[in-house]
Amino acid sequence: MSRPELDGPLENGAEFPSRLTARIVTPGERPLVHGYDVEGDLARHYQSSDLLFLMLMGELPSEPVSRAFAVACLFLAPVSVAHASTHAAVVGRLCGAPASGLFGVAAIAAAEHAHSLLDEHQQLFDWLHARQSPLPEHFRARDAADLAAVERLEQALVPTGVAIPALAERPSRDAALLMLLFELGFERREPLEAAIMLARLPSGIAEALAERPTNFGNYPINLPRFEYTESAQ
Amino acid sequence: MNLPELTQPTRTAHWGWHEHRYFGHRVFQQLTGHETLTGLTVLSVLGRRLPSDACAVVDDIACTVTMADPRIWPLKLTRLVAAYGSALPAAAAGLVSTEDARIGAWAATRSAETLLAFDAALGARSDEPEFVRTVVKAYLAEHRFVWGFGTPFRDRDERLVAFRKCIQHRRRASLHYWSLMNAVSEVVIDLRGAQPNMGIAIAAALLDLGLTTHQVGCLASALMQHMFLAQAVEGAAQGAALRELAPGYVEFVGHAPRSSPRAEKSAEKAALLDAQHE
Repeated sequence: MSRPELDGPLENGAEFPSRLTARIVTPGERPLVHGYDVEGDLARHYQSSDLLFLMLMGELPSEPVSRAFAVACLFLAPVSVAHASTHAAVVGRLCGAPASGLFGVAAIAAAEHAHSLLDEHQQLFDWLHARQSPLPEHFRARDAADLAAVERLEQALVPTGVAIPALAERPSRDAALLMLLFELGFERREPLEAAIMLARLPSGIAEALAERPTNFGNYPINLPRFEYTESAQ
Repeated sequence: MNLPELTQPTRTAHWGWHEHRYFGHRVFQQLTGHETLTGLTVLSVLGRRLPSDACAVVDDIACTVTMADPRIWPLKLTRLVAAYGSALPAAAAGLVSTEDARIGAWAATRSAETLLAFDAALGARSDEPEFVRTVVKAYLAEHRFVWGFGTPFRDRDERLVAFRKCIQHRRRASLHYWSLMNAVSEVVIDLRGAQPNMGIAIAAALLDLGLTTHQVGCLASALMQHMFLAQAVEGAAQGAALRELAPGYVEFVGHAPRSSPRAEKSAEKAALLDAQHE
């Protein structure tokens, strides 16, 4: 094939830059994140949750926010196999997926889990922005266990110096954690979704790694039992 | 502990002893030897088979949409993931990036929604040019961006030019949504100077086959898998070249170097201690 036949819109016409743009992490031997020297500064004075906050928000957290964000990450982290996100990672392990494939499954599932949580709580954020009415009923604690979890969150926040007035509305555990993150500055959906996903990801991976590959005989294959039907739904 | 059994209905499939079921069909008896990969893909998305002439339109879409240059962004990301050596995670990454994305297969779903919006607004009057113009003009006044229109880096979408010939060849150019696309396009071209693209053509053709908007996106994604696979397979075989770019290829435009508040506090404390020792 001669060269002229291989001409196209990307050969002639459009102008593109010749270099890739880095905006957060400096490339090279000594990485800076948003201007901070990771190895010479952050590693000596901060913890990993602070680096996550910096990456997502562009600035280091203040002392109280740092402590409260660490609490939020800890409360967000446990996601049992009862949840589809962790369950999917475990099934990936059963299939004998290599670690990288398994981590990919866990990451996709954790991202979808976080996305759906925020979809379900969109109205909560509208409420947090306005705060002109009582908290909508479906964001309130459903039972004593829910209330107790929020009480533990309040106790864990005491030493941080961060107070969340909205917790007085007796929210559910999920709503309380979203209120906390909102209070810490996560007002934009994407960084918030990322923080939730990243805090939860280790659960799926850890639960999956604890399973034995190809342990099919010990997996409840009929949970749920799919009822095949040929009729139109 | 006695728990109620969890059940979920499914129309997809059942694993039997000697024969399997797939959407109401016996796999060995009714599908094997009788159905194509395209037909199976259609069955998977729609839950029903389409006649062979309809599947031929789907094949036409799969062929004419094949613009698989690795520089095209969703394919480039596939190539980048493939640089670590595995093909399927790379193909999966490409697929994950497409649902609800601005470019790629899901543009067909959004274009289908646009076509349905025009269809609802026009009612039975889509063959009245003046009324079509009024409706489209009103829509454009409210929408800066119109799904299904715009052909970046070229005057027209060459895929649509090729697909249009297929539709004419298959005598489907007079079907409802294809005609609607043409009627709306005429006004959009006139008022905005934006040409229709392959997204709205896929939408029109698949709506004419009876798909819902969501099915349009799912089927369009399936019809584009070969392009992701091509980049994933070749990229995985080529391996390391793209794993890390040399510094000269990257320009940093972020924050200037700075010290953290804790580092500064620590330095102040050290300086104070030094001063006390002196």
